[in-house]
Amino acid sequence: MKSEERSYRRSLKNAALGIAAILPMMLGIVGLVGVFRAFITREMLASLFTGHAVHDTLIGTLAGMIAVGQALVSYVLGGELLGQGVSLYAVAAFILAWVTLGVVQLPLEAEVFGIRFTLLRNLLAFLFTIVTAVASVWSAQWLM
Amino acid sequence: MADVTQKSPRRFRLRGVKFLGGVLALYAALFFWREAQTLTAMRFALEVLEEIVPILFVVVFLAGALHYWLDPKKLARHLGEDAGWHAWLIALGAGILSHGPMYAWYPMIEDLRRHGLRDGYITAFFYARAVKVPLLPMMIYYFGWPFTLFLSLYIVLAAWIQGVIVEMIERRSGRGFWSEDEE
Repeated sequence: MKSEERSYRRSLKNAALGIAAILPMMLGIVGLVGVFRAFITREMLASLFTGHAVHDTLIGTLAGMIAVGQALVSYVLGGELLGQGVSLYAVAAFILAWVTLGVVQLPLEAEVFGIRFTLLRNLLAFLFTIVTAVASVWSAQWLM
Repeated sequence: MADVTQKSPRRFRLRGVKFLGGVLALYAALFFWREAQTLTAMRFALEVLEEIVPILFVVVFLAGALHYWLDPKKLARHLGEDAGWHAWLIALGAGILSHGPMYAWYPMIEDLRRHGLRDGYITAFFYARAVKVPLLPMMIYYFGWPFTLFLSLYIVLAAWIQGVIVEMIERRSGRGFWSEDEE
């Protein structure tokens, strides 16, 4: 029993050390998130859209990549963009890229999982974000 | 392919110290350029920190429990080389249910990867996180239920396809696509 307790304590310690090891990198990411949120405003993101569905879908994906914050904020902002006449394709790509892609966390992801895995995962996520956004809008329009 | 059930000894090493230094230098530079906005950035950063600290505790607890309860050989069998469709369900389900920013989960996923968790499942886990169950009512309110339904379904499908693609690439590359940049 005693050795089990020690072993469990050791497991917790190992897990805590795993987090402690990447703490500087994580704090750096948190710092960057703060900078992005303060310096890249909603107005700046909204101004990127032009009204052309194809162009805006790509812009939506890229804007979602650089934007940071709670997913809920992306829904609110997406709702505002829809109200301004931006296409649902672009808004769908924007809210999806917001949660699946993140420029800010790339250094940490590459440090932890390796550059190749990070590049492939993000490339796939980028492509599938566009495909998923377009397919969702098509399907929803077909149903309605 | 190395025996994934064997843990390589890992030396404790702080990672990203230079990166953190760079970010602090960026704050210092921004402070002289836009003082008020930089202070806002610091406040936002503190808010994010407050948000992720409890999640990090959960991650430490979960990772510790996994370390203690799971036999690495069993884990490798369930989420490693010989895992079947149920491993995809676990990866996708865990992604949908996980909470907080993606990077808070990196240490635990890294640890599981060292025990044999395959990269395809990691890819599927990360993409499936786009389904935010508690926020579904909000999404329905803004974009309607047909869009929310299809988006959620397609996210899960896309997560699985991406995982399969990563697996195929890894298998084709033979010795392990990622071996160069791994420790």
